[in-house]
Amino acid sequence: MQSRLLLISVLFLMVSCVTQEVCNDNSQSELVAKFKTVISEAVSDTTISGVTLYGIREGKPDSLLYDSSDISSVELPLDPHHTYSRFVMKINELSDTLTLIHNTGFYLMSYTCGYGAIFTLDPDSIIHGSKLFYDIEIKSTVIDADTEPDEEHLWLYF
Amino acid sequence: MQTQNQMKSISGYISKAILLLLTMAVVSQPLSGQDTLRTFGPRLGLDLARFIYFFTEPAEYGAEISGDFEVYKNIYPVIELGYSNMSDTTDLFDYASGGTYGRLGVDYNVLPMKDRSIHHSITVGARYGLSVFTQKAENMYIQNGYWGDMVLESYESSLRGHWVELVGGLRAEVLPNLFLGWMVRFKFLLNQDMDPKITPALIPGYGNGTNNRNFGFSYSIYYKIPLFKN
Repeated sequence: MQSRLLLISVLFLMVSCVTQEVCNDNSQSELVAKFKTVISEAVSDTTISGVTLYGIREGKPDSLLYDSSDISSVELPLDPHHTYSRFVMKINELSDTLTLIHNTGFYLMSYTCGYGAIFTLDPDSIIHGSKLFYDIEIKSTVIDADTEPDEEHLWLYF
Repeated sequence: MQTQNQMKSISGYISKAILLLLTMAVVSQPLSGQDTLRTFGPRLGLDLARFIYFFTEPAEYGAEISGDFEVYKNIYPVIELGYSNMSDTTDLFDYASGGTYGRLGVDYNVLPMKDRSIHHSITVGARYGLSVFTQKAENMYIQNGYWGDMVLESYESSLRGHWVELVGGLRAEVLPNLFLGWMVRFKFLLNQDMDPKITPALIPGYGNGTNNRNFGFSYSIYYKIPLFKN
């Protein structure tokens, strides 16, 4: 009886469970802005040709996010160093500056993936020119690193 | 006459011998009866399984002791006390957690034993666990290829985690009053949202706090102090 009990005890010692968490490399917090147009009072998606876009990085040279692209949406990485992010969009010879005011926070995504940024847009503080943008509508104010494929934060009306 | 005297003395010897044998029998009867008595006393244990975690990655250092007492037939109130701490350094951030914990509960022996002097047991039981601990994150590094990488300020929080456990296992008396035994534990965390900023990677006594349910096991050596028999 005793030897059986000991044998069971030893077997239990040999059993262990190991789980491995997988980290997604694309863990940037990006705002998704869809391009929209209004035709006969109906809102519809639109594709814009020749879109060039870059962020205004203080103390650093401009770096293009999009270069003469034919696109129907853009993904904008927000600035975790500040409470605002500024972008310049050019279409052909016209350009507008888009300024987004946001709260910036950080959170632990997971122990494998580390920390990520979380931004909360101030819905009353979106500043934009009127050469390109007809209007801007906020669809979601929270931007984190776990953006779903179909998630939309802004609608940019052209 | 002499022969009669010799006969009397022989019969006297025989009588004395029988009386002596009867006496021995009477004395020996309660001795054999004592072998069937059950010993009672506090049983102190040391969880040897904790030492396995010294060699895991990341290592978790700690120790756990336990005490129980059969206060009523097959019913053992249990107290378990321990501490543990761990730290981990990665490219993304450094993390450390550590503190003390205690569990209170009861075990019930379901193993029927005809001979009460045998102390093996198969038990089922429950525990309530409470841990008081501190966790700390440092050198949190955020990669951002566009706006520039950044390092966050350190973060530290003092927390209390509590949970309940359903436990089951067995203990074998391998030598008089010396036991070896294992126990499996199904743990259910009651306050996983104790820190909204960092879900603890280690709640001492519970395990990984990112799981609201955990499985654990103990493998312990026990010594029962045989204070009295009954």
